[in-house]
Amino acid sequence: MNTIGADIVLKTLAEEGVEVIFGYPGANTLPLHDRLAEGPIRHYLMRHEQAAAHAADGYARATGKVGVCLATSGPGATNLVTGIATAYMDSTPLVAITAQVDSDLWGRDAFQETDIIGITMPITKHSFMVRDVTQLASSLRQAFQLASTGRTGPVLVDIPKDILSAPCGDQPKKIPTAPPKRIEHPEQIERIAQALNRSERPVIIIGGGVKLGDACERASEFVQKAQIPFVTTMMGIGSVASANGFNLGFIGMHGNELANRTIHQADFILALGTRFTERSTSVIEEFAPLATVAQIDIDATSIGKNIKVDLAYEGEIQDALTALIPLIVPREREGWMGRIRVERDLQEAKLKDGGCGQAGNLIRKIQAAMPRETIVVPDVGLNQIWTVRTWQSHSPRSLLTSGGMGTMGFSVPAAIGAKLGAPDRDVVVICGDGGFYMNIQELATISSYRLPIKIVVINNGHLGMIRQIQDLFYESRFTTSELGETVDLTAVAKGFGIPAERVAVDEDPAEAIARMASAEGPYMLEAMVDQNNYVYPIIPPGASNMEMICGK
Amino acid sequence: MAIEERTISMLVNNQPGVLSRIAGIFSSRGYNIRSLCVAETTNPEVSRITLTSRAESDFTEKIKKQLDKLVDIISVTDFTGAPAVQRELMLISLRLTPENRREILRAIDLFGCRVVAMSEDYLIMEITANKDKTAAILRYFEPFGVEEMNRTGAIAVFRQKREG
Ligand SMILES: Cc1ncc(C[n+]2csc(CCOP(=O)(O)OP(=O)(O)O)c2C)c(N)n1
Repeated sequence: MNTIGADIVLKTLAEEGVEVIFGYPGANTLPLHDRLAEGPIRHYLMRHEQAAAHAADGYARATGKVGVCLATSGPGATNLVTGIATAYMDSTPLVAITAQVDSDLWGRDAFQETDIIGITMPITKHSFMVRDVTQLASSLRQAFQLASTGRTGPVLVDIPKDILSAPCGDQPKKIPTAPPKRIEHPEQIERIAQALNRSERPVIIIGGGVKLGDACERASEFVQKAQIPFVTTMMGIGSVASANGFNLGFIGMHGNELANRTIHQADFILALGTRFTERSTSVIEEFAPLATVAQIDIDATSIGKNIKVDLAYEGEIQDALTALIPLIVPREREGWMGRIRVERDLQEAKLKDGGCGQAGNLIRKIQAAMPRETIVVPDVGLNQIWTVRTWQSHSPRSLLTSGGMGTMGFSVPAAIGAKLGAPDRDVVVICGDGGFYMNIQELATISSYRLPIKIVVINNGHLGMIRQIQDLFYESRFTTSELGETVDLTAVAKGFGIPAERVAVDEDPAEAIARMASAEGPYMLEAMVDQNNYVYPIIPPGASNMEMICGK
Repeated sequence: MAIEERTISMLVNNQPGVLSRIAGIFSSRGYNIRSLCVAETTNPEVSRITLTSRAESDFTEKIKKQLDKLVDIISVTDFTGAPAVQRELMLISLRLTPENRREILRAIDLFGCRVVAMSEDYLIMEITANKDKTAAILRYFEPFGVEEMNRTGAIAVFRQKREG
């Protein structure tokens, strides 16, 4: 066979280290799908393009590599949009490849022609429209380079069908890129170190950027040496193993009261890889009112975006911490740590079950039944907050969650990507009934590839989080949040070829959990919980992080 | 924070889509672009975009960082308050009457405008000046009944080659 554009695509992907792509064909991708059989790259046929994007995203979150998804022009490309936006908001490195109609049809409203570059402009780091077959390899290489460096994120490459099928010669090999720049402004690091050494009540905030920048080990080392307590954002959970009472939990609307209250009293905050979104800070003017704020981030636009910072360093978090660690003078801040201990005891006495009720107990039992290295993938809603509050993450890539976008339907397809990226680890989905419906078709992908993914649907018959908000802040008017109980989800799962059973959380679910944990292949557990099993504490809309409430 | 008019100039790769990415950065943050001028530089692969927008004083820093992230942007410069020559070109057409003819022609001369087309009862003039002056000139001619007006928006060049 003569070499065509499609071969160049596959060759370049292989050169970039791609082993797996998640996709869905259409007439315009066919030149590419047609050549897949020959190469080393495995293509997983999803049942919806949105799921292909989430799977690539889950793959990237589980492995740290760039995830790749592939869709056809028109509806295939637009179906990717939610998945691309989800990756963008959480800075997941992703390359989305879309086929486009033949270049001589552009601008003629041809069948399945959409301006996907225009549509995705605000949710991609960059995009390439390949106009000439000789630019294929270089565009793809640049896409990988951009997706995986700086603040990582999704990049889209749109390739017309005629370019995929155009005969062409081999394209020049990859030129090694220059090594990334090293610390440029040591004096900024020195200033941060001095302020930290002087501080009496310091706290570190660990954001998602610490994982993304592969800086977890450095961050642990830093915490240990400096003897400083830390909080995380939701995206930062699991970055640093909980040690010696330094981990105060996560901040924000659904976070831990201990974390929120400690930040409020701090006189110095070192923020690592977080943009201070309003989910974390609530009312920004009332966030950390006493603190000098130092921010370290790879992304210049994240520095000072939402909060006024006193000290800043722009660059790789790893490099910054490497430079910072030797400058830190370990100090026992007995008064500060004592205050935190008192506060911790107070909070623990107040919230006996961690604020998650029976659902929390269920999740604790599931974790206990699964191996330590299990990856948990919550969906969005109460189930997500129950999971992030309850599941003890022991390592950085064990909790994969849609934080910035809060995309319902993320969990099942993202788990597919995670399982394929980390085949040696167990993967558990924890999902609400609402979110389960949103990508339910992916049960077919799981069963056809026999992916041993465990799915727990916590069924409350409602859009639980919406119900809680209505209950607390809309005078209990429960409009449009009831899903009802007419569907037998276990029968649905079985119909897809996945063994399933139903349990009630207030009866003992331990045996069912054990059956799920020991199942060879995929398994679905439908756990029935009370519709009034909410999550507490919570911050009412418009209130500050100090105003968490624990009930109606 | 004080709101003022800002002039930003950037060098960009001369490629389709670049302008819409730049426009997207402004629009998604709620900034209105007041004037915009795009043209090729001496290097046909590079264009210069000069635009103005009314915004707070921390605008440039925030927007500049966002613009700097765009792959096709080579450099971003803020001309606001800098030692630079700023100019825009304005064309004004007027209806002439026997009563106003003399006064209009005298004013054109005084302001240093140029007549680029003229007939018995009609005239088009051209003005090149900084924005304050073009605005003043327009205000002067408005009572005579400006038929049509069009202008390019500001372009700017630093007075001296800057270091770095
Ligand atoms: C795609 C999408 N649509 C709507 C929402 C808004 N939303 C957030 S939580 C939620 C309810 C989720 O219900 P369910 O999946 O049953 O989970 P539960 O809260 O009951 O655990 C909704 C509708 C969303 N986050 N994502």
